[in-house]
Amino acid sequence: MDESTSITLDAIHLLFSGDAELWKIIAVSFQVSSTAILISVPPALAIAFILANADFPGRRLLISIFNTLLAVPAVVIGLTFYLLLSKQGPMGDWKLLFTQSAMIMGQTALCFPILVAMGHAAFQAVDKRAWETARTLGASPSLAFYTVMKEARFGLLAALFAAYGRIIAEVGASMMLGGNILHYTRNIPTAIALETSKGEFSQGIALGIVLIILAFALNTSLQYFQGKGHLSN
Amino acid sequence: MHSTHIYFSDIGIRFGHQQVLTDTELEIISGRCILLCGKNGSGKTTLLRIIAGLEVPNTGFVNTGIGKYDLNKYRQQLRQTTVYLHQQPYMFDGDVVSNLNFSLNNKLTRKQRTDRINSAIEWAGLQNIANNSAKTLSGGERQRVAIARAWLRNPGVLLLDEPITNMDQGSRSRTIELLINLKQQGVALVVSSHDPVHFGALTDTLLQISEGRVHRFRTSDNVTPIHYRKHLNKNAKQT
Repeated sequence: MDESTSITLDAIHLLFSGDAELWKIIAVSFQVSSTAILISVPPALAIAFILANADFPGRRLLISIFNTLLAVPAVVIGLTFYLLLSKQGPMGDWKLLFTQSAMIMGQTALCFPILVAMGHAAFQAVDKRAWETARTLGASPSLAFYTVMKEARFGLLAALFAAYGRIIAEVGASMMLGGNILHYTRNIPTAIALETSKGEFSQGIALGIVLIILAFALNTSLQYFQGKGHLSN
Repeated sequence: MHSTHIYFSDIGIRFGHQQVLTDTELEIISGRCILLCGKNGSGKTTLLRIIAGLEVPNTGFVNTGIGKYDLNKYRQQLRQTTVYLHQQPYMFDGDVVSNLNFSLNNKLTRKQRTDRINSAIEWAGLQNIANNSAKTLSGGERQRVAIARAWLRNPGVLLLDEPITNMDQGSRSRTIELLINLKQQGVALVVSSHDPVHFGALTDTLLQISEGRVHRFRTSDNVTPIHYRKHLNKNAKQT
Protein backbone atom coordinates (compact mmCIF):
# COMPACT_ATOMS: atom_id res chain seq x y z
CA MET A 1 0.00 0.00 0.00
CA ASP A 2 1.52 3.33 -0.98
CA GLU A 3 1.68 6.32 1.36
CA SER A 4 -1.14 8.35 -0.17
CA THR A 5 -3.57 5.40 0.01
CA SER A 6 -2.57 4.79 3.59
CA ILE A 7 -3.14 8.47 4.50
CA THR A 8 -6.54 8.47 2.79
CA LEU A 9 -7.61 5.32 4.66
CA ASP A 10 -6.44 6.90 7.93
CA ALA A 11 -8.48 10.00 7.08
CA ILE A 12 -11.64 7.96 6.43
CA HIS A 13 -11.07 6.03 9.66
CA LEU A 14 -10.60 9.31 11.56
CA LEU A 15 -13.79 10.70 10.07
CA PHE A 16 -15.97 7.76 11.02
CA SER A 17 -14.31 6.96 14.37
CA GLY A 18 -16.08 9.92 15.99
CA ASP A 19 -12.86 11.78 16.78
CA ALA A 20 -14.01 14.58 19.11
CA GLU A 21 -11.38 17.08 18.01
CA LEU A 22 -12.19 16.60 14.34
CA TRP A 23 -15.92 16.95 14.86
CA LYS A 24 -15.45 20.06 17.01
CA ILE A 25 -13.56 21.66 14.11
CA ILE A 26 -16.40 20.75 11.77
CA ALA A 27 -18.95 22.14 14.25
CA VAL A 28 -17.10 25.47 14.54
CA SER A 29 -17.00 25.75 10.76
CA PHE A 30 -20.72 25.20 10.34
CA GLN A 31 -21.63 27.38 13.32
CA VAL A 32 -19.60 30.37 12.11
CA SER A 33 -20.51 30.11 8.44
CA SER A 34 -24.21 29.45 9.06
CA THR A 35 -24.43 32.45 11.38
CA ALA A 36 -22.70 34.66 8.80
CA ILE A 37 -25.13 33.50 6.10
CA LEU A 38 -28.18 34.02 8.33
CA ILE A 39 -27.04 37.55 9.16
CA SER A 40 -26.31 38.39 5.52
CA VAL A 41 -29.30 36.96 3.67
CA PRO A 42 -32.12 39.37 4.66
CA PRO A 43 -30.31 42.68 4.01
CA ALA A 44 -28.45 41.33 0.98
CA LEU A 45 -31.64 40.11 -0.70
CA ALA A 46 -33.43 43.37 0.11
CA ILE A 47 -30.58 45.34 -1.51
CA ALA A 48 -30.53 42.95 -4.47
CA PHE A 49 -34.29 43.43 -4.94
CA ILE A 50 -34.03 47.22 -4.74
CA LEU A 51 -31.14 47.26 -7.22
CA ALA A 52 -33.18 45.12 -9.62
CA ASN A 53 -36.44 47.03 -9.35
CA ALA A 54 -35.88 50.62 -8.26
CA ASP A 55 -34.34 53.40 -10.26
CA PHE A 56 -32.32 55.89 -8.25
CA PRO A 57 -29.15 57.94 -8.69
CA GLY A 58 -26.03 55.88 -8.02
CA ARG A 59 -27.71 52.54 -8.72
CA ARG A 60 -25.24 51.53 -11.42
CA LEU A 61 -22.33 52.61 -9.24
CA LEU A 62 -23.64 50.44 -6.38
CA ILE A 63 -23.96 47.44 -8.71
CA SER A 64 -20.39 47.99 -9.90
CA ILE A 65 -19.15 48.23 -6.30
CA PHE A 66 -20.81 44.95 -5.31
CA ASN A 67 -19.50 43.24 -8.44
CA THR A 68 -16.00 44.52 -7.65
CA LEU A 69 -16.24 43.25 -4.07
CA LEU A 70 -16.77 39.75 -5.47
CA ALA A 71 -13.14 39.73 -6.52
CA VAL A 72 -11.67 40.88 -3.20
CA PRO A 73 -9.50 38.08 -1.75
CA ALA A 74 -10.49 36.66 1.64
CA VAL A 75 -7.12 37.60 3.05
CA VAL A 76 -7.72 41.27 2.21
CA ILE A 77 -11.07 41.14 4.02
CA GLY A 78 -9.24 39.48 6.91
CA LEU A 79 -6.57 42.18 6.94
CA THR A 80 -9.17 44.98 6.85
CA PHE A 81 -11.12 43.57 9.80
CA TYR A 82 -7.88 42.76 11.60
CA LEU A 83 -6.93 46.44 11.42
CA LEU A 84 -10.40 47.49 12.55
CA LEU A 85 -10.55 45.02 15.46
CA SER A 86 -6.93 45.15 16.65
CA LYS A 87 -6.23 47.04 19.87
CA GLN A 88 -5.15 50.17 18.03
CA GLY A 89 -8.06 49.96 15.59
CA PRO A 90 -11.34 51.92 15.79
CA MET A 91 -13.20 48.81 17.01
CA GLY A 92 -10.40 47.61 19.30
CA ASP A 93 -12.40 48.28 22.45
CA TRP A 94 -14.89 45.61 21.45
CA LYS A 95 -12.16 42.98 22.05
CA LEU A 96 -13.45 40.76 19.28
CA LEU A 97 -10.20 39.81 17.60
CA PHE A 98 -9.52 36.05 17.69
CA THR A 99 -13.12 35.24 18.53
CA GLN A 100 -15.87 33.52 16.56
CA SER A 101 -17.63 36.90 16.32
CA ALA A 102 -14.67 38.31 14.39
CA MET A 103 -14.75 35.30 12.06
CA ILE A 104 -18.48 35.85 11.54
CA MET A 105 -17.85 39.51 10.70
CA GLY A 106 -15.21 38.56 8.15
CA GLN A 107 -17.33 35.84 6.57
CA THR A 108 -20.36 38.14 6.47
CA ALA A 109 -18.29 40.68 4.55
CA LEU A 110 -17.19 37.92 2.18
CA CYS A 111 -20.60 36.44 1.41
CA PHE A 112 -22.56 39.71 1.33
CA PRO A 113 -21.42 40.86 -2.16
CA ILE A 114 -22.00 37.36 -3.56
CA LEU A 115 -25.56 37.36 -2.27
CA VAL A 116 -26.20 40.88 -3.57
CA ALA A 117 -24.64 40.36 -7.00
CA MET A 118 -26.15 36.94 -7.67
CA GLY A 119 -29.44 37.93 -5.99
CA HIS A 120 -29.61 41.00 -8.19
CA ALA A 121 -29.13 38.84 -11.29
CA ALA A 122 -31.83 36.44 -10.07
CA PHE A 123 -34.34 39.23 -9.37
CA GLN A 124 -33.52 40.92 -12.66
CA ALA A 125 -34.46 37.72 -14.48
CA VAL A 126 -37.98 37.84 -13.04
CA ASP A 127 -40.53 39.62 -15.19
CA LYS A 128 -41.56 42.98 -13.70
CA ARG A 129 -45.18 41.94 -14.25
CA ALA A 130 -44.77 39.44 -11.38
CA TRP A 131 -44.51 42.28 -8.85
CA GLU A 132 -47.27 44.31 -10.54
CA THR A 133 -49.60 41.32 -10.79
CA ALA A 134 -49.10 40.51 -7.12
CA ARG A 135 -49.76 44.13 -6.14
CA THR A 136 -52.84 44.52 -8.35
CA LEU A 137 -54.23 41.29 -6.88
CA GLY A 138 -54.11 42.86 -3.44
CA ALA A 139 -50.75 41.67 -2.11
CA SER A 140 -49.00 43.90 0.42
CA PRO A 141 -45.44 45.00 -0.51
CA SER A 142 -44.00 42.27 1.75
CA LEU A 143 -46.21 39.55 0.22
CA ALA A 144 -45.40 40.81 -3.29
CA PHE A 145 -41.67 40.69 -2.38
CA TYR A 146 -42.11 37.12 -1.13
CA THR A 147 -43.95 36.24 -4.37
CA VAL A 148 -41.13 37.64 -6.51
CA MET A 149 -38.62 35.73 -4.34
CA LYS A 150 -40.54 32.55 -5.07
CA GLU A 151 -40.37 33.27 -8.79
CA ALA A 152 -36.61 33.86 -8.48
CA ARG A 153 -36.02 30.95 -6.11
CA PHE A 154 -33.60 28.94 -8.30
CA GLY A 155 -31.32 31.91 -8.84
CA LEU A 156 -31.54 32.87 -5.17
CA LEU A 157 -30.74 29.33 -4.05
CA ALA A 158 -27.74 29.31 -6.37
CA ALA A 159 -26.62 32.59 -4.75
CA LEU A 160 -27.10 31.14 -1.27
CA PHE A 161 -25.15 27.97 -2.03
CA ALA A 162 -22.36 29.85 -3.80
CA ALA A 163 -22.01 32.23 -0.84
CA TYR A 164 -22.03 29.38 1.67
CA GLY A 165 -19.51 27.41 -0.35
CA ARG A 166 -17.24 30.45 -0.51
CA ILE A 167 -17.17 31.19 3.22
CA ILE A 168 -17.02 27.68 4.61
CA ALA A 169 -13.93 26.97 2.52
CA GLU A 170 -12.08 30.27 2.95
CA VAL A 171 -8.93 30.29 5.01
CA GLY A 172 -7.49 33.82 4.90
CA ALA A 173 -10.07 35.78 6.89
CA SER A 174 -10.70 32.95 9.37
CA MET A 175 -7.01 32.55 10.09
CA MET A 176 -6.39 36.28 10.60
CA LEU A 177 -9.55 37.05 12.56
CA GLY A 178 -10.03 33.77 14.44
CA GLY A 179 -6.43 32.94 15.20
CA ASN A 180 -6.94 29.19 14.69
CA ILE A 181 -7.54 28.47 18.42
CA LEU A 182 -8.35 24.80 19.05
CA HIS A 183 -11.94 24.08 20.14
CA TYR A 184 -12.86 27.74 19.67
CA THR A 185 -11.92 29.32 16.35
CA ARG A 186 -10.25 26.46 14.50
CA ASN A 187 -12.45 25.64 11.51
CA ILE A 188 -12.04 23.24 8.61
CA PRO A 189 -9.84 25.33 6.30
CA THR A 190 -7.57 26.69 9.05
CA ALA A 191 -7.20 23.18 10.48
CA ILE A 192 -6.25 21.80 7.04
CA ALA A 193 -3.65 24.56 6.65
CA LEU A 194 -2.20 23.84 10.11
CA GLU A 195 -2.14 20.05 9.82
CA THR A 196 -0.55 20.23 6.39
CA SER A 197 2.19 22.53 7.68
CA LYS A 198 2.85 19.98 10.47
CA GLY A 199 2.98 17.13 7.97
CA GLU A 200 -0.14 15.51 9.52
CA PHE A 201 -2.08 14.85 6.37
CA SER A 202 -4.74 12.43 7.68
CA GLN A 203 -6.80 15.02 9.54
CA GLY A 204 -6.40 17.48 6.65
CA ILE A 205 -7.70 14.93 4.15
CA ALA A 206 -10.56 13.95 6.47
CA LEU A 207 -11.62 17.59 6.68
CA GLY A 208 -11.16 17.97 2.94
CA ILE A 209 -13.55 15.04 2.45
CA VAL A 210 -16.11 16.88 4.59
CA LEU A 211 -15.79 19.97 2.38
CA ILE A 212 -16.15 17.91 -0.79
CA ILE A 213 -19.22 16.10 0.62
CA LEU A 214 -20.69 19.50 1.55
CA ALA A 215 -20.05 20.92 -1.94
CA PHE A 216 -21.62 17.82 -3.47
CA ALA A 217 -24.65 18.05 -1.15
CA LEU A 218 -25.18 21.74 -1.98
CA ASN A 219 -24.95 21.15 -5.71
CA THR A 220 -27.20 18.08 -5.58
CA SER A 221 -29.77 20.08 -3.60
CA LEU A 222 -29.64 22.85 -6.19
CA GLN A 223 -30.15 20.35 -9.00
CA TYR A 224 -33.05 18.83 -7.09
CA PHE A 225 -34.72 22.21 -6.54
CA GLN A 226 -34.16 23.21 -10.15
CA GLY A 227 -36.02 20.13 -11.31
CA LYS A 228 -35.11 18.69 -14.65
CA GLY A 229 -31.85 20.59 -15.02
CA HIS A 230 -32.34 21.21 -18.73
CA LEU A 231 -34.43 23.46 -20.92
CA SER A 232 -38.13 22.65 -20.99
CA ASN A 233 -39.81 21.65 -24.24
CA MET B 1 -70.76 43.71 -5.60
CA HIS B 2 -70.32 47.24 -4.25
CA SER B 3 -71.27 50.16 -6.45
CA THR B 4 -68.42 52.09 -8.03
CA HIS B 5 -68.45 55.64 -9.31
CA ILE B 6 -65.03 57.23 -9.68
CA TYR B 7 -64.24 60.44 -11.50
CA PHE B 8 -60.65 61.12 -12.54
CA SER B 9 -59.60 64.57 -13.62
CA ASP B 10 -56.52 66.58 -14.64
CA ILE B 11 -54.41 63.46 -15.14
CA GLY B 12 -51.08 64.39 -16.59
CA ILE B 13 -47.91 62.37 -16.95
CA ARG B 14 -44.60 63.04 -18.58
CA PHE B 15 -41.79 60.59 -19.38
CA GLY B 16 -38.59 62.56 -19.80
CA HIS B 17 -39.39 65.34 -22.26
CA GLN B 18 -42.48 63.63 -23.65
CA GLN B 19 -45.86 64.65 -22.27
CA VAL B 20 -47.84 61.42 -22.61
CA LEU B 21 -51.16 62.53 -21.08
CA THR B 22 -52.53 66.03 -20.46
CA ASP B 23 -55.65 67.12 -18.55
CA THR B 24 -57.21 63.71 -18.96
CA GLU B 25 -60.67 63.05 -17.54
CA LEU B 26 -62.40 59.74 -17.06
CA GLU B 27 -65.59 58.63 -15.33
CA ILE B 28 -65.86 55.00 -14.25
CA ILE B 29 -69.26 53.62 -13.26
CA SER B 30 -70.32 50.15 -12.08
CA GLY B 31 -71.62 47.88 -14.81
CA ARG B 32 -70.39 50.08 -17.62
CA CYS B 33 -67.55 49.58 -20.05
CA ILE B 34 -65.23 52.22 -21.38
CA LEU B 35 -63.27 51.36 -24.49
CA LEU B 36 -60.03 53.30 -24.87
CA CYS B 37 -58.86 53.50 -28.44
CA GLY B 38 -55.79 55.00 -29.98
CA LYS B 39 -52.65 54.16 -31.84
CA ASN B 40 -49.81 52.21 -30.28
CA GLY B 41 -47.91 54.50 -27.95
CA SER B 42 -50.79 56.94 -27.57
CA GLY B 43 -50.93 56.49 -23.79
CA LYS B 44 -53.72 53.92 -23.35
CA THR B 45 -51.62 51.57 -21.22
CA THR B 46 -50.22 54.45 -19.19
CA LEU B 47 -53.73 55.69 -18.39
CA LEU B 48 -54.84 52.20 -17.30
CA ARG B 49 -51.75 51.84 -15.13
CA ILE B 50 -52.39 55.21 -13.49
CA ILE B 51 -55.96 54.19 -12.68
CA ALA B 52 -54.63 50.89 -11.28
CA GLY B 53 -52.22 52.78 -9.02
CA LEU B 54 -49.20 51.21 -10.72
CA GLU B 55 -47.93 54.40 -12.33
CA VAL B 56 -47.30 57.71 -10.61
CA PRO B 57 -48.78 60.64 -12.57
CA ASN B 58 -47.37 64.17 -12.36
CA THR B 59 -50.85 65.57 -11.79
CA GLY B 60 -54.29 64.12 -11.22
CA PHE B 61 -57.29 64.07 -8.95
CA VAL B 62 -59.80 61.44 -8.06
CA ASN B 63 -63.34 61.95 -6.81
CA THR B 64 -65.33 59.04 -5.44
CA GLY B 65 -68.27 61.14 -4.30
CA ILE B 66 -66.83 61.70 -0.83
CA GLY B 67 -64.32 64.30 -1.91
CA LYS B 68 -61.64 65.22 -4.38
CA TYR B 69 -58.24 63.74 -3.61
CA ASP B 70 -54.77 63.96 -5.04
CA LEU B 71 -54.41 60.87 -7.22
CA ASN B 72 -50.95 60.03 -5.87
CA LYS B 73 -52.22 59.99 -2.31
CA TYR B 74 -55.14 57.80 -3.33
CA ARG B 75 -53.11 55.07 -5.07
CA GLN B 76 -53.37 52.66 -2.13
CA GLN B 77 -57.18 52.83 -2.18
CA LEU B 78 -57.23 52.51 -5.97
CA ARG B 79 -55.27 49.27 -5.72
CA GLN B 80 -57.94 47.88 -3.41
CA THR B 81 -60.73 48.68 -5.88
CA THR B 82 -59.08 47.90 -9.20
CA VAL B 83 -57.42 44.94 -10.84
CA TYR B 84 -55.16 45.52 -13.83
CA LEU B 85 -54.57 42.85 -16.45
CA HIS B 86 -51.44 43.15 -18.56
CA GLN B 87 -51.64 42.67 -22.31
CA GLN B 88 -50.00 39.30 -21.72
CA PRO B 89 -51.10 38.41 -18.19
CA TYR B 90 -48.37 37.15 -15.90
CA MET B 91 -48.80 33.63 -14.56
CA PHE B 92 -47.03 32.66 -11.36
CA ASP B 93 -45.11 29.38 -11.16
CA GLY B 94 -47.45 26.50 -10.43
CA ASP B 95 -50.73 25.28 -11.85
CA VAL B 96 -53.89 27.20 -12.65
CA VAL B 97 -55.40 26.40 -9.24
CA SER B 98 -52.43 27.89 -7.38
CA ASN B 99 -52.67 31.01 -9.55
CA LEU B 100 -56.34 31.37 -8.67
CA ASN B 101 -55.51 30.75 -5.03
CA PHE B 102 -53.22 33.79 -5.05
CA SER B 103 -56.21 36.15 -5.28
CA LEU B 104 -57.94 34.80 -2.21
CA ASN B 105 -57.88 36.33 1.21
CA ASN B 106 -55.63 34.53 3.70
CA LYS B 107 -58.40 34.56 6.29
CA LEU B 108 -60.54 32.08 4.33
CA THR B 109 -60.69 28.50 5.52
CA ARG B 110 -59.36 25.71 3.32
CA LYS B 111 -62.90 24.66 2.36
CA GLN B 112 -63.91 28.21 1.53
CA ARG B 113 -60.84 28.54 -0.66
CA THR B 114 -61.58 25.29 -2.49
CA ASP B 115 -65.21 26.30 -3.04
CA ARG B 116 -64.29 29.71 -4.39
CA ILE B 117 -61.59 28.32 -6.68
CA ASN B 118 -64.00 25.68 -7.99
CA SER B 119 -66.61 28.32 -8.70
CA ALA B 120 -64.03 30.43 -10.56
CA ILE B 121 -62.93 27.42 -12.59
CA GLU B 122 -66.54 26.70 -13.51
CA TRP B 123 -67.32 30.35 -14.23
CA ALA B 124 -64.39 30.78 -16.60
CA GLY B 125 -64.62 27.29 -18.12
CA LEU B 126 -61.15 26.24 -16.95
CA GLN B 127 -62.02 22.65 -15.99
CA ASN B 128 -59.75 21.09 -18.62
CA ILE B 129 -56.69 23.11 -17.70
CA ALA B 130 -57.12 23.49 -13.93
CA ASN B 131 -54.12 21.31 -13.13
CA ASN B 132 -51.92 22.44 -16.00
CA SER B 133 -48.82 24.49 -15.41
CA ALA B 134 -49.96 28.10 -15.81
CA LYS B 135 -46.76 29.12 -17.61
CA THR B 136 -47.47 26.70 -20.47
CA LEU B 137 -50.98 27.99 -21.28
CA SER B 138 -51.87 29.59 -24.60
CA GLY B 139 -52.58 33.32 -24.82
CA GLY B 140 -56.35 32.84 -24.71
CA GLU B 141 -56.18 30.44 -21.76
CA ARG B 142 -53.89 32.79 -19.86
CA GLN B 143 -56.30 35.64 -20.39
CA ARG B 144 -59.20 33.55 -19.07
CA VAL B 145 -57.19 32.46 -16.03
CA ALA B 146 -56.23 36.09 -15.42
CA ILE B 147 -59.86 37.21 -15.67
CA ALA B 148 -60.94 34.41 -13.30
CA ARG B 149 -58.13 35.41 -10.91
CA ALA B 150 -59.37 38.98 -11.03
CA TRP B 151 -63.00 37.84 -10.56
CA LEU B 152 -62.00 36.13 -7.31
CA ARG B 153 -60.80 39.50 -6.02
CA ASN B 154 -64.33 40.84 -6.49
CA PRO B 155 -63.03 44.09 -8.00
CA GLY B 156 -65.01 47.28 -8.47
CA VAL B 157 -63.04 48.12 -11.60
CA LEU B 158 -61.30 45.78 -14.03
CA LEU B 159 -58.68 47.34 -16.30
CA LEU B 160 -57.72 45.31 -19.37
CA ASP B 161 -54.86 46.20 -21.67
CA GLU B 162 -55.45 44.88 -25.20
CA PRO B 163 -57.17 41.75 -23.86
CA ILE B 164 -57.82 39.98 -27.17
CA THR B 165 -54.69 40.82 -29.13
CA ASN B 166 -53.23 37.85 -31.03
CA MET B 167 -56.15 35.56 -30.15
CA ASP B 168 -58.01 33.25 -32.47
CA GLN B 169 -61.73 33.71 -33.02
CA GLY B 170 -62.77 31.10 -30.42
CA SER B 171 -60.57 32.49 -27.63
CA ARG B 172 -61.67 36.02 -28.49
CA SER B 173 -65.36 35.11 -28.19
CA ARG B 174 -64.86 33.28 -24.88
CA THR B 175 -62.90 36.20 -23.43
CA ILE B 176 -65.52 38.74 -24.47
CA GLU B 177 -68.28 36.52 -23.05
CA LEU B 178 -66.51 36.57 -19.68
CA LEU B 179 -66.18 40.34 -19.83
CA ILE B 180 -69.86 40.76 -20.67
CA ASN B 181 -70.70 38.51 -17.73
CA LEU B 182 -68.49 40.60 -15.43
CA LYS B 183 -70.18 43.76 -16.61
CA GLN B 184 -73.59 42.23 -15.89
CA GLN B 185 -72.34 41.47 -12.38
CA GLY B 186 -71.73 45.19 -11.92
CA VAL B 187 -67.98 45.39 -12.50
CA ALA B 188 -66.83 48.58 -14.21
CA LEU B 189 -64.61 47.76 -17.17
CA VAL B 190 -61.98 49.90 -18.82
CA VAL B 191 -60.58 48.19 -21.90
CA SER B 192 -57.81 49.47 -24.14
CA SER B 193 -57.56 48.39 -27.73
CA HIS B 194 -56.05 49.70 -30.92
CA ASP B 195 -58.74 47.81 -32.80
CA PRO B 196 -62.18 48.45 -31.27
CA VAL B 197 -64.26 46.49 -33.75
CA HIS B 198 -64.55 43.35 -31.58
CA PHE B 199 -65.95 45.14 -28.55
CA GLY B 200 -69.29 46.26 -29.95
CA ALA B 201 -71.41 44.18 -27.56
CA LEU B 202 -69.42 45.35 -24.57
CA THR B 203 -68.81 49.05 -24.99
CA ASP B 204 -70.84 51.85 -23.41
CA THR B 205 -68.42 54.69 -23.85
CA LEU B 206 -65.81 54.95 -26.51
CA LEU B 207 -62.87 57.24 -25.92
CA GLN B 208 -60.01 58.02 -28.23
CA ILE B 209 -56.58 59.01 -27.00
CA SER B 210 -54.50 61.06 -29.36
CA GLU B 211 -51.75 63.60 -28.80
CA GLY B 212 -51.93 62.98 -25.07
CA ARG B 213 -55.60 63.91 -24.73
CA VAL B 214 -58.75 61.84 -24.35
CA HIS B 215 -61.61 62.62 -26.72
CA ARG B 216 -65.10 61.30 -26.09
CA PHE B 217 -66.31 59.82 -29.35
CA ARG B 218 -69.76 58.40 -28.73
CA THR B 219 -71.82 57.35 -25.74
CA SER B 220 -73.85 54.25 -25.06
CA ASP B 221 -76.91 55.42 -26.96
CA ASN B 222 -75.37 55.20 -30.35
CA VAL B 223 -71.90 53.79 -29.99
CA THR B 224 -70.82 51.33 -32.58
CA PRO B 225 -67.17 50.53 -32.81
CA ILE B 226 -67.69 49.73 -36.51
CA HIS B 227 -68.77 53.35 -37.06
CA TYR B 228 -65.76 54.42 -35.09
CA ARG B 229 -63.49 52.35 -37.28
CA LYS B 230 -65.07 53.86 -40.39
CA HIS B 231 -64.45 57.26 -38.85
CA LEU B 232 -60.79 56.40 -38.29
CA ASN B 233 -60.43 55.05 -41.83
CA LYS B 234 -62.05 58.20 -43.22
CA ASN B 235 -59.68 60.39 -41.24
CA ALA B 236 -56.74 58.30 -42.37
CA LYS B 237 -57.73 58.71 -46.01
CA GLN B 238 -58.13 62.47 -45.58
CA THR B 239 -54.66 62.76 -44.12
